Amino acid sequence: MASAEPPVIPGPIRAYLLQLELELERADPALRHDALLDAEGHLRAAVRAGVDAERAIAEYGRPAEIATAYLAAEGASAASGRPVSASAWRGEPGTALAGTGSGSHRSSVPGGVEAAPAVPAPWRVRDIPVLGIWADARAWGALVYFGAVGFALSVAYFVWAIVIGSLSIGLATVIVGVPLFIFLLGSARALCLFEGKVVEVFLGVRMPRRVQPVEGADTVGFWQRIWCWLKDVRSWLSLGYLLGNFPVAVVLFAVTVTVAAASAVLIGVPLLEVLGVHALHLDLDDADDVTVSYLGRELTPDADGVVRLPPSLIVLSFAVGVAVATAGLWLMRGLGWVYGNVVQAIQVARPRATVPPRG
Amino acid sequence: MPTDPGDRLQRDLSVGTAWLVVLATIARADEPIHGYEIARQLAEQAPEGLSFKQGTLYPMLRSMESDGLVRSTLVPSNEGPARKCFTLTAEGRRVLAAWCETWRTTSKWVNRTLGGIDGIR
Repeated sequence: MASAEPPVIPGPIRAYLLQLELELERADPALRHDALLDAEGHLRAAVRAGVDAERAIAEYGRPAEIATAYLAAEGASAASGRPVSASAWRGEPGTALAGTGSGSHRSSVPGGVEAAPAVPAPWRVRDIPVLGIWADARAWGALVYFGAVGFALSVAYFVWAIVIGSLSIGLATVIVGVPLFIFLLGSARALCLFEGKVVEVFLGVRMPRRVQPVEGADTVGFWQRIWCWLKDVRSWLSLGYLLGNFPVAVVLFAVTVTVAAASAVLIGVPLLEVLGVHALHLDLDDADDVTVSYLGRELTPDADGVVRLPPSLIVLSFAVGVAVATAGLWLMRGLGWVYGNVVQAIQVARPRATVPPRG
Repeated sequence: MPTDPGDRLQRDLSVGTAWLVVLATIARADEPIHGYEIARQLAEQAPEGLSFKQGTLYPMLRSMESDGLVRSTLVPSNEGPARKCFTLTAEGRRVLAAWCETWRTTSKWVNRTLGGIDGIR
């Protein structure tokens, strides 16, 4: 059987990673996660190549410099809508090959390069107070996600987890149940990663580019690897997500469809009325005694069963429809932000205390 | 922060050449190359007195990947986490070729212009 002891990160590297984590404390968790993984991978590789840990750290760069490089690259990328160019190699030792902003972000890397002067951002429709939400891609993305994509996926995840989970419990008395459950756990991790990508596309919440591997899982034997998986909090969070996301997705789907339908009716009916198309039509034999309540007004259909909106009601309906739709889009954006951050938290969960000191 | 005018040329050159040399290093590799190896080769080939913080390479690689110039794959490692290794994409090769041509043209022009002032001190 292979050794069960995963390779230990040298103390100085662990301390360095802790400092880098502190430097990025207020950064996006996915960015922090990526930066820590990059640093850990690089420093491990350096030590493996025979470089002294202290020297490898010195060559890698001070935590503040590295944090600034990541933040500058991310900030400029967000500001310009595309990744930034890199910058500085300097003539004196100990400077930075830093990604500095092409937008308004200014590098503070000691010895690094100052970014270009801040350029005022062009005016955009989405900068309009309140109504600017109509031009916000994240709000529309959330609408599509909660109203269609996310709901369909949550049903699929739930069915998968229930079917395989039930089978594994049912077959627990025979050996088959155990590997089936481990398979479910592995598939939950994979599905959760996929979900992260979908969420990033629709909700605009950044997901880590890499997944924190289970420390040492590559060096230990098969059974230890399974054990690492079982101990990994991300496995259980992922499984919990597949199961727990279903009721949440149902509620969000109901809210989304209700808001979207109400907005569509309140805006669509008066528009059609203006165009001469009477959307409210009662197909009744005797419509004499029937009235229709529309936005608190009682309307009586004519002899053909057609309900005509008076001009004041056309204006009122359109205005209320726009207000409901605008509020709905803000709601979608807010829900999308919360939902996206929950999924992100699962993705960046630490399998083991890779960064904090051990022993 | 005001910068020393003497450093300005080095700084401005660095902005343009960093991506070029990183792309060239990835292009020269026979197989997917990981970040540490890129940094090691760059440090090895750097002229005396020119150094860089290796950690700043990674945000750049990230930007290159977002730009579609490089592609990354996770390669299992015998020790520690899987390594993220990089290869050039077709777009990356096209951009590198264009930049190499730009570099050659520019350096030829600069060398020609500097031809008569070698003795200035």
